Amino acid sequence: MSFLATVELGHEFLPFAAFEEDSGAVPNLLRAQSLLPRAIEGQVILEGAVRSRGVISRAQKERILLCIAAARRDVCCASLARTALRSLGEQDRQIDRLSEDHRRVDLPAAEAALLDFCLKLALHSLSVSISDIERLREHGIDDESIVEAAVTTALAIYRCTLSVGLHPEPDDGLWRLPPGGEVSVREPAAHSSSGTRSQTGPYVRAPYLSPLTFAPFVTLMNTHGFIPNFFRAQSSRPDLLAAEVELAALVLLPEDILTRAQKETILLAVSAANLNSYCVAIHGNLLRGLGMSTDEGDQIALDHHRSSLSDPDKALLDFAIKLCSQFSDFSLEDVVRLRALGFTDLQILECEVVTALNNFANVLQLGLGIEHDFESPRAFEQKKLNRRVVFDRRIGDDPSSSSIMAQAEDPDAELAAQACAGSLEAFEELIRRHSRLIYRALVAILGSQDHAQDAMQDVMLSAYQHIGGFRAQSKFSTWLVSIARNKAIEYLRRRKNEVSLDEASFDEDRDLRPRELQDWGENPEQAYSRSEIRQLIEKEIMALPAKYRVVVMLRDVEHLPTEETARQLDLSVPTVKVRLLRGRLMLRERLAPHFAAAARSAVR
Amino acid sequence: MITCDEFFAEFGDYLENRVSPEVRKELELHLSQCRACHVLYDSTCQTVKIVTDNSSFDLPRNISESIIGTVMAKLRADRA
Repeated sequence: MSFLATVELGHEFLPFAAFEEDSGAVPNLLRAQSLLPRAIEGQVILEGAVRSRGVISRAQKERILLCIAAARRDVCCASLARTALRSLGEQDRQIDRLSEDHRRVDLPAAEAALLDFCLKLALHSLSVSISDIERLREHGIDDESIVEAAVTTALAIYRCTLSVGLHPEPDDGLWRLPPGGEVSVREPAAHSSSGTRSQTGPYVRAPYLSPLTFAPFVTLMNTHGFIPNFFRAQSSRPDLLAAEVELAALVLLPEDILTRAQKETILLAVSAANLNSYCVAIHGNLLRGLGMSTDEGDQIALDHHRSSLSDPDKALLDFAIKLCSQFSDFSLEDVVRLRALGFTDLQILECEVVTALNNFANVLQLGLGIEHDFESPRAFEQKKLNRRVVFDRRIGDDPSSSSIMAQAEDPDAELAAQACAGSLEAFEELIRRHSRLIYRALVAILGSQDHAQDAMQDVMLSAYQHIGGFRAQSKFSTWLVSIARNKAIEYLRRRKNEVSLDEASFDEDRDLRPRELQDWGENPEQAYSRSEIRQLIEKEIMALPAKYRVVVMLRDVEHLPTEETARQLDLSVPTVKVRLLRGRLMLRERLAPHFAAAARSAVR
Repeated sequence: MITCDEFFAEFGDYLENRVSPEVRKELELHLSQCRACHVLYDSTCQTVKIVTDNSSFDLPRNISESIIGTVMAKLRADRA
């Protein structure tokens, strides 16, 4: 019995056979997902990788899975770990005592410390910090073991999320979870950080793996256009990261049930509910790559009810968020509500699997202190800070909070508020501040300084006309550039000159290899006057195709950070990075005949 | 040591100072031993520096003031 319909897959279904061979039986948690065999396949791959070879013993990993399930009062997952522990020879009494409180069990100090860490990560992931890792190191636990422990913890959360959503019968129906008290998390004493790693992460070493020959990295380059730090950070355990890439591909890439955009939206909204900035940033960017506007993505992270998603899609997000953050209140009624909106059991199941995968990623990212690939939206960081003050969480532990607060401040905020309230003086000051930015954005897209000057007036008038629609969610300058961008594209259309700045497939620009490889010497520009150099640069930048020109212009001429460039152009950061490199290399190629020659004559 | 293709695969992030210490170590070892990649790296850095340091596409102040003046006059007239 489970909340969702099931079908018989039979013994010939290979993932069941593999699990049965390893553990003696197929658990109900897997059978309950039988509508979606590829999800079972992915989970079995991950489970197999976690349980196979490693620095931490199989029994230790099962104890981690048991203690976390017991702390969450999840009898199904606790029963699953109990069965595995019994098959490894653990006594029933010992298992019951572990389920009540692992500190009452006589474990070696290092294993007790590891269990403390895993429980803290599972139950209070936002408060995990470098001090927790230092404490593990004091017990002689190395980086590889820390990665294994964090992945095992994340697997426990994956299982528990599915168990709440599916509600399968425990495998051992007669066993009762012993009464357990509130699990308190032991706080490590303050440590002075030593070694080369920063206080904020990444917490563990990540040996180099080739993006060209390590198959999971090749897959990620093909599917995402970049390798997220989430995976790079686990490179000390290539087998685990390979299993995660396979699971993610099986769950997220097919479009036969929910679309990729729907799944990325779930990942974004649930990460936002979990206050995980890393995952909010990455899924916001992936959604931009799938064509969602930056504003819409930011709005979903902030409050999806105020986004322009359809009502059923909003209900799907409510469902996923409840499954992760209010799981003790989750019930069959939540499933029935989605069915009433027209969702099939298969769609509901896929939503639950995606939510479980999201929780897996959120926990693992915090456990390893994985560094951000991209910045998360400023409005989300503001909300996160407010929420965390309310919940009295320790903000100082969050590596990203202080830097993001600084970023959250818009120097134009006060003037923009006055302009919104109707002050012409404030508006005049704002357009004076940003006239050069508007001009450069227009030149970049229009490819002509004269046309840019003509278009400026229109952009400024249009900004005034629409200032009521400016929401302080984004920076004022970002909003202004979006108006300039739209006006410029409108101009080009009128001149029947179609220019597309949109996202394109990742391999559009793979052939970037340069041809001109002569030395430029120390200071190649010395052979030219400043005005000659400026003329040369302007001429060569104008000769670049628009989509590269606009990125080079905003990033290198206007000195905007890459993230801000992406937001202003409504592009994902990976796309901006590829175009920036391409643009810079094209410019290098065009400038080489001048500067390499100058270097040669200087030598002569 | 990593190959030139592997160096090039990380090149964009290296220029932007966005690689991990372990990746940086591999890239710098390669740079110290491969002249072609060294020239590529050096000349690309010089390109970025030259573009960044020369404030190109500057809008002459008189032109920007004239545009802002026209816009504000129109807005004030509309309001009146």
